[in-house]
Amino acid sequence: MQTGKVVYRHSAIMRLTHWLFVISFLALVSTGLQIFNAAPYLDASDKTTPARRVLEISAPSQGVGTTTVFGRTLKTTGWLGWTDDGMGGKTGRAFPGWITIPSYQDLADGRRWHLFFAWIMVFCGVAYIVWGARRHDLRELVLRPSDIPKLLPMQLYYFRLRKEPPAHGKYNPLQKMAYTLVLFVFAPLIVLSGLALSPSFDAAVPWITTMFGGRQFARLWHFVLMIALCGFFAMHVMLVATTGLRNHITSMITGRYKLGAHDGVGV
Amino acid sequence: MRRKLFIASSMSAALAGCGAIGTKLNDNQTFHSVLSSAEDLNLRVIGTHGLAREYSPADLSADFPINSFDTPSDALYTRLVRSAFRPYQMVVDGMVDHPQYLSLAQLAAMPQTAQITRHDCVEGWSAIAQWSGVALRDLLALAGPRPGAQFVVFHTFDRDSSGVPYYESLNMAQAMHPQALLALRQNGVAIPPDRGAPVRLKVPTQLGYKSAKWVRHIEIVASMAHIFSGQGGYWEDQGYEWYAGI
Repeated sequence: MQTGKVVYRHSAIMRLTHWLFVISFLALVSTGLQIFNAAPYLDASDKTTPARRVLEISAPSQGVGTTTVFGRTLKTTGWLGWTDDGMGGKTGRAFPGWITIPSYQDLADGRRWHLFFAWIMVFCGVAYIVWGARRHDLRELVLRPSDIPKLLPMQLYYFRLRKEPPAHGKYNPLQKMAYTLVLFVFAPLIVLSGLALSPSFDAAVPWITTMFGGRQFARLWHFVLMIALCGFFAMHVMLVATTGLRNHITSMITGRYKLGAHDGVGV
Repeated sequence: MRRKLFIASSMSAALAGCGAIGTKLNDNQTFHSVLSSAEDLNLRVIGTHGLAREYSPADLSADFPINSFDTPSDALYTRLVRSAFRPYQMVVDGMVDHPQYLSLAQLAAMPQTAQITRHDCVEGWSAIAQWSGVALRDLLALAGPRPGAQFVVFHTFDRDSSGVPYYESLNMAQAMHPQALLALRQNGVAIPPDRGAPVRLKVPTQLGYKSAKWVRHIEIVASMAHIFSGQGGYWEDQGYEWYAGI
């Protein structure tokens, strides 16, 4: 092992699209929650249908916030429902001001941000995949049939039910599955479910909205996919932080990665 | 464990920090105009193509929300309601060859079309109703827009709580769309005063704020710069997109 040796790991396009993706992802989540706040409920239906409500965040009375999931109501005062109004006070508002852009309730500006960064994310995603495929950077990232039998052993290793992980390359089979799902399933679906909410898009390409089960259902899909992507984001940050935080961040800025204890590990 | 706590707390701090930076950036004019460039892209890419889906009577929403300012209560509108809209006149003027002054009876005597379509609110909810009335393009054909006409502006009896008038606009292509409707009836009954009587606009390919209620005057123009704050609508003047297709 050549500890200390510096290798060139990430090309300029990969680094640029990675960071633009980070910025647009954070902007899309926080403005998406802003937009959600204007109608803080999700129905598994085409038109708004309270009988098919999956999630509702509300303030049933002054000073009380509740979250209802599949008919089960939890008191979430301070976190959801009755929260920070972004102006130093508290109010009946689904997601709190500290997590939305702008911090105060502003649907018009939330939408401006969201529809702008959606385009940035699409451009970055397409550039990342096209460039990655051309340079073969995606080869080690994509799940292959031969990885499938290794998925369970890898999970058992994570659960500490197995001493050694199965043999793998830069990315382990579970990471490959996560990246493949994110790049080729979740990302395209979150874009399509967002477009399915557009009345003009629905008129132009009606089968997309139908595929998601209607407009309100598409809104539910859009929200669930956001949660899934946030889960991926949290795992990714966790792996970065536990396998040489400074080294990873430096390599994603300069492209240069210093080999060491976590050599073969990709994040 | 301490490390995990550190990671979790720094992640939420990063998110909160993003919110704070975002709120600051939001006040920056230049940044705001960069954000707004996406509207033009959406208009070009998504535009107005195809027909909004039509539903069956079984799909009607049991409870169609009322989401507007209070029903107009000025002397003129109150008098119109009291006289069952007999003195009502729909004015179509501006860049047209034949300005129109149509009573409700004359509008009702024109060919009527009906649609059961979904109303999609910018807030996120949707509701389905049946609308019938005069296709906007039929009315525009009577008036004959002159060459150079770009926008169709809808003036209403509607006012916000500070008295600012509600108005809306469509471009010529959106106004000529076969489903753009001047609705006289909702679910088979004359539109009641709290839902935009006697005539409201219904544009199912656009978000709900385009579908102005209490329409009284349709003005065809080449530019909207001189109309109120110049953005083409009440909500547009408050920062919402003029292109309400998404």
